[in-house]
This record gives sequence, structure tokens and C-alpha cells, in this order.
Amino acid sequence: MTILRAERVVVAADLEGARVPVVRDLSFRLDEGKVLGLVGESGAGKSMIGRAIANLLPPRFATVEGTLRFLGADLVAMDADKRRALLGRDIAFIPQEPRAALNPVYTIGHQFDEHLARLGVASGRERRGLARDHLAAVHLRDPEHLLEAYPHQLSGGMCQRVLIAMAFASDPKLVVADEPTTALDVTIQARIVDLLSEMRRTHGTSVLLITHDLRLAARVCDDILVLYAGRPAEYGPARAVFERPAHPYTRCLQLASPPLDGPRRKLQSLPEHMPTLRALAALQGCRFAPRCPTRIETCSREPALLDRGHDHVVACHRAEADLALSPEIEHPGPARRISAPVVKVESVGKVYPGPRRWLGRAPDVVALADVSFEIGRDEFVGLVGESGSGKSTLAKILLGLEAPTTGKASVAGIDVTDPSATAREARITAIQMVFQDPQSALNPRRRVADIVTQAMIAGRRRASWEERLAKTKTILAEVGMPADLALRYPAELSGGQRQRVNIARALCSAPSVLVADEIVSGLDVSVQAQLLNLLGRLRAELGFAMLFISHDLSVVRHLCDRVLVLEKGRVVESGPTEGVFASPASPYARALLRAVPPDDLATPWRPFAEAEDAAA
Amino acid sequence: MRARAAWRSGRVRIGGILVAIVLVAGILAPWLAPHDPEAQDLLALLLPPAWAPGGQAAFPLGTDTLGRCVLSRLIWGARVALYVAILASLGAMILGGVLGHVAGYFGGWVDRLISRAVDVWMSFPPVVLSLVLMVGLGVGINNVVLAIILVDWTRFCRVLRADVLTVMNRDYVTAARLAGFGHVQTIWREVLPATLPLLATLVSLEMGMAVVVEAILSVVGMSVEANVPAWGVMIADSRQAMYQAPWNLILPMVAILVAVLGFNLLGDGLRLALDARQSGARAEAP
Repeated sequence: MTILRAERVVVAADLEGARVPVVRDLSFRLDEGKVLGLVGESGAGKSMIGRAIANLLPPRFATVEGTLRFLGADLVAMDADKRRALLGRDIAFIPQEPRAALNPVYTIGHQFDEHLARLGVASGRERRGLARDHLAAVHLRDPEHLLEAYPHQLSGGMCQRVLIAMAFASDPKLVVADEPTTALDVTIQARIVDLLSEMRRTHGTSVLLITHDLRLAARVCDDILVLYAGRPAEYGPARAVFERPAHPYTRCLQLASPPLDGPRRKLQSLPEHMPTLRALAALQGCRFAPRCPTRIETCSREPALLDRGHDHVVACHRAEADLALSPEIEHPGPARRISAPVVKVESVGKVYPGPRRWLGRAPDVVALADVSFEIGRDEFVGLVGESGSGKSTLAKILLGLEAPTTGKASVAGIDVTDPSATAREARITAIQMVFQDPQSALNPRRRVADIVTQAMIAGRRRASWEERLAKTKTILAEVGMPADLALRYPAELSGGQRQRVNIARALCSAPSVLVADEIVSGLDVSVQAQLLNLLGRLRAELGFAMLFISHDLSVVRHLCDRVLVLEKGRVVESGPTEGVFASPASPYARALLRAVPPDDLATPWRPFAEAEDAAA
Repeated sequence: MRARAAWRSGRVRIGGILVAIVLVAGILAPWLAPHDPEAQDLLALLLPPAWAPGGQAAFPLGTDTLGRCVLSRLIWGARVALYVAILASLGAMILGGVLGHVAGYFGGWVDRLISRAVDVWMSFPPVVLSLVLMVGLGVGINNVVLAIILVDWTRFCRVLRADVLTVMNRDYVTAARLAGFGHVQTIWREVLPATLPLLATLVSLEMGMAVVVEAILSVVGMSVEANVPAWGVMIADSRQAMYQAPWNLILPMVAILVAVLGFNLLGDGLRLALDARQSGARAEAP
């Protein structure tokens, strides 16, 4: 039985009177008990489809054409009351930000009770019992206690489990999950995905999984639909799409994400970024053509979505052509000699005093305990660990923003706690930081040139605007940005460009060490590949050492010479990247590695093998 | 970009026009006023406005108990109101703004010290506090300004401290410190531009409040001397003949209303127009 069937759906935005289709010609079929993956980068329009089903399109957006048939009834034409009755009952949703979806002022029990009351369970006692059962079904321990808890007392993963329990409480026919794991830690992600498939099996529910992760979708879904700029690029059985991608975009996506095993290869980077709403309005022909490495003249005509001999449908004129898109193997250079270390950390510990309580204090929080390591000149060291493992504290200590409680740390021979003016001055050229979120790291009221060269007017330095502009041009060229962006404001740049500005600012004082805190994790795969290639190039051209903080192991493997694994403030493993990845010694490193689905679909993915072994 | 967005709001436009009227009246008083505000015409006492029966065209809004031109006195009164409004609100802004930024930026014991001082200060009722201050400082318009500053700086301090705290969470502030900026430079370059819209809003609201406080203190004779034309003085003077000549009471009240309404609408409108934080940030979202 078909649960959801979309036919030629068009979602359009009203942009100053002009109608811009953000989703176009979208057709798919989701059968009972199946999982359909909608895969695409940000701006592909994948979330618009979830919102169109929920009738939650943003203002000035509307489904203007086509039908969305849920069990035969068209959702688009349905009147609002009838549709509202379906939502939350027959169609349930799992949100991206579990914390934001729960009301912080009510207990979990209260919110669950409200939901069940809406579903029509009359007796309060019955509702409480049901809530307990549903929470137990998603493997939450001690549900009785949990009902009394407030959302802020739960971890992100627990919140997501609660929301999954709520979504499946009504035995829905369809569950729409919009990036359900993106906001969570890697090891938790695997568990949530696993839970989702378990719930689907036991309830016989169909799932529409909206995600940016092709690898994950290939593992979990029966069918995959790849979206680019609002138009389906490729649609078919998951295996066929993943193993024999025919659209150059899908291939580029695969080649843009670094592999976890096998030889290191050069990342395929697509130029530019997904067209914005404004650019979309002016776009003619194939929407991917401006970025496509295999573009030909025919591409100015829009390609139809056809089966072109790949046992699934593709919207590309060039699908039959033998696309010159094969991975370029990168030959590892001669092993780096460990030269004189530029960063020295000797048994550093950091203890935060516990918060004051009614009487006395809460116990102290140990953020770091006895951490020692060195970073050689020009060496890239990856720092891996879950949130709360002390990664950011370590970075702050190196940058001199926090003082260690015990131990010593020095950068380029300068002690990080030295408060003298000369030491502070020297630290500026010794170490700089690239921040995680460019939105927060760039002052929205300053122009790019002003942000990038701020070090030139800091303290007692006085550079003229002309000098700063000239310097901006050089640095922008280094990070691969056109010079005419120097006078733009951050809001006028794309996410990838902002992150380049972020890097450019850190490079302005030519530091010998860069600390990069999750600098590619918020970005789309194709943009991430651009930045990783850029970092590799800058390293060769400028020469600097880097502490690369990340939870994405494939990225760390691609970029770093050595890895440090941090768990609960302790270094549990360290060594050359290849060695750690080939035979991880610590349980935490093994769990991290297993959380990533292997590239080859034939290799079974067992994210919790260890836990199961331990249980047996 | 921002200014145009602000102008699109109706509140800003109406408030701006009202404030502009008061400003023009105050600045150009010697040229706009038809008479000397203190000139007495004892043959024309308590004349009604020109359009009412018995009114004279020479006194468009009538005369008071001493035969002084009400329109001229209203126009000159705008000067006193503006003098107090501008000096008092700027003074309160500087005192409260500096302390608010210092508290929010440095945190720790500096913040605790300033915040507790604000708490203690705010626990006094503002009217009582200002009257006590006036008694201590002595009568006079400059002391009115000082009293308003000393009462209302806490409002700026508390609100700005909270705003500074949210800005401090932004990575660009840390980035500025890492680039070698000093504390003053960081506050000036990175924090202040972000708190400026809020500051502007508070100042315009404070101006309205200052006008009211000055009028109250004038009525009870604690502000300007009796021979200076001020709206509060006019209200006080009109009380003797308020049944024969109600317009003498109503007109200065209308003037105060217009000024306060203007400042409040402007402040409210500016808050709505400027506080939509980083309005350009979402321009790209699909």
C-alpha cells in the first residue's frame, strides 16, 4: 500500500512579486513500512518538503502545484481542520533540534500527557502508564523518574528519544524525520538511527528521512532521492543510487567526503555553492550546470528525470557519458620528521570550582586531568572527543584565555600564563584561532577587510586603511576569495565564504600555530571539501602547525598527521593517524570509529558491537 | 540601511515629527514667538484663544492671569523641556552606559559590585529619591538635570549590562582579544556597536521621562525660577484661574503630552526597527 505519494509538487516562494520555485517537479512514492531518504545539502529544499506535509511553510512560501497524497487523500487540497487532525496522529514528526522542540518550563511527563490527551486517551492514570511504556520502548532507563524531569536535565540524545517515543505513541502511518541526528554527538547519532529503524519495524511505519548524509541514507533507507536546488537529481533504490550514482552531483558528493579506510585521496571540490533563492530565479536549464565539472552545451536545456540505464532515474544529459570523475589518489609525502615542538603541554589540568549551593559548594568539575602532548612545527594534530570531553578547555588554555590549574603549557617558547605585555604581544604571532561558527565569529557590523586585518590596528599598532586593504587582498587571494569581497558585510557572504574570512583573520598575523575548533562541521560536504583542500594548500604555502578539533573522524584522517583522543578530560589515546585508525586501542576511539557507516555497503555496519559483546 | 528600515515604521515617523516640532520650537523660539514671553499686557488678561468669542488675533492661544501670550510661553517652554531632556538623558546614558558595559564586560566581582549598587539604588521609589535629592542639592534647573541623572542611571546600567552579556558570548569578541585588542578597544570596537541600538532607544524613552519629571518639579517650584517660561510653571500659574480660563491649564499639558508621546513613539519604533538583531543575517536562507 502506498502511504505517501508526491506528484509533480512545486513549492514556490513569493520574492518581491516574482514566483520562485524552491521545489520543482518532485514526485516520489513511499510504500508501507519503507524508508525514503531525501538527501541534499542546505538550500536543496529538502526541509521544504517536510514543511509542506506539515503545512508549516514559512510565510510567502506555498505549495502551488501538484498533489501530496497521503493514503489517497490530497494533503494540499485538504481543508485545514481535517489536515490538522491528521498531523501528530497519522503523520508524526521528529525534529532536528530535540531541545528546542521540548518546552523547557514543563516536565517530560506533562508534555507527554498533553500529547496523549490530544490523541484521545481520557483517563489520566492510563495516560501516565502509557507514557511510561512508550519511554521504556525507546530504551530510556527509569521512565518513572524521567517523567518528573525537565528537558534541560536530559542530554540531547535523551531528548531525541523522548520525541521519538512521542512520535510513535499514536502508531502513525508516516513519520517525517528532519535531520534527526545532526545536532547530536557522533556516537549518539548511530544509536538514534538504530532506534528509528527498530521503531519502524515494530510499528510498521513508513519513514521519510530528510538528511544531508548520503552514507547514512544508503545504510538506513530503502529508496533515496537526491535533491539539488529543489529539483530531484537522482531517485531510486538506495543501493543502486549509492553504488552506481549517475548524476555528477551525487558522484561529487561521494568524492567530496574523505573516506575512513583505503588510500587518502584528493577531495573533489565543487566550485561555489548551492544557488540562493535569488540566483534560483534567474537560473536556466540544468540547475547543477554552473558547478558541474562535466558540463556541456546541451546542459542549457533542462534534463528530464529518466532511467538512463542505471536501474534508477537520473536528471542529467551526461548520465550515459563516461564521466571523468575518478578519485585522484594522493601520495603521502615523506614522513614528517618531528622537529622542535612548537606547542608543549606538560601534565596540564583544569578544575572548575563547583557552583555555589545553599550550603557550601557542589563538587568541583574536572575539565582536564594530566594532559601532556607536543605539536611539532608544521604538524597537524587532530583532537577528537565527545562534547564535554575538555576539547574546548584545552584550546582556551593554549590561547591564554584560561589559566591551567596545574601543569605547564607553552607556545613557541612563551608560557601561556605569562601576563607580561611582551608575552602577550608575542602570543599574537604565535597562536591564533579559527572559530566554529562563522555567524558568531564575524562581527556583522564590520566589513570583511576590517575583520580580516583587525590585528593590524590592535593594541599600539596603527596601520592605515590603505595598508589594511592591500593586506586584505593578499590574504583573500590566499584563502581563494575574490578581492572585491573585501568591502562586503558578513551577511552578504555564503557560509563557506564566511568560514574563509574566519580563516583569513587568523592568518593575518602569520601565526605559527592555528587552533581550529570544529571549523568544517557546520558546512555542507561540498563546501567542506573546498575548505579541507584549502587548509592543505595553505599548510604547504605558509607553513604552520594546527590543533584541529573535530568529531568527524574522516576529516581528521584526511588532514592530520597525529591524533589525540580525549575522554572526560584525559588523553586516552594518541599516535600517528594511520596507526590509530587501523587499530584503535581505547574503547572510546573504537566506538567513534564504528559510529561512522563504512563506505562499502557490503561491509556490515555494527555501531554497537562492543556494547553487545559486553552484554553477552 | 538601518535608518531606512527605521523610517518605514509608522511609530518612528509620527514620533519623529512630534519631536521635530518640539525641537524647532525650542531652537527657534526667539523668532517663532509672537511676543516676549514675559511681557505683560494688563489690558488683556485671561483672553481666550483667538477662535473663541472674545479672543484677539494678536494672542492666538489667549493670555494668562498677567496678560502674557500663552503661545509665546509654550514655545519658550519647549527650550526648558529640551534642555532638561537632552542633558539629563545623555548624562544618565553616559553614567549608566559606562557602568553597564564595565559590569557586563569584566564580570566577576566588578559586576557583582555594580549590580548590587544598582539593586540598592533601585529599591528607593524614584519620586521620593528625586525629591530628597532636590532638597539636598537645592532648587534650580541644573540640579533637576543632576537629580534625574542620579535617579535614572540605574535603568541604563541594568538593561545594558544584560545586552553586553549576550554580546560577550559572541566569538568575535574573543577573536578581538586574541588579535591583541585592549579592553577599552574591544568594548569600543566590538561591544558598543552592538549595544548602540538599545542605547539609542533608551535615550529617547528617557527624554520623555525627563520632560515629565521636570514639569512635576516646576509645578512644585523646585525647578526653574518663576520668571522663566516653562510648561510646569505655566500649569502652576494657571491653577488660580483654572475655572475661568481652563485653556491655560490644558495647553501646557497638551505640550507635555506631545513631547512625551513623540519621544516614546520614537523610542518604541526605534526598538522595533533596530532590535531585529542582524536583520540581514537571514537574507540568504531559502
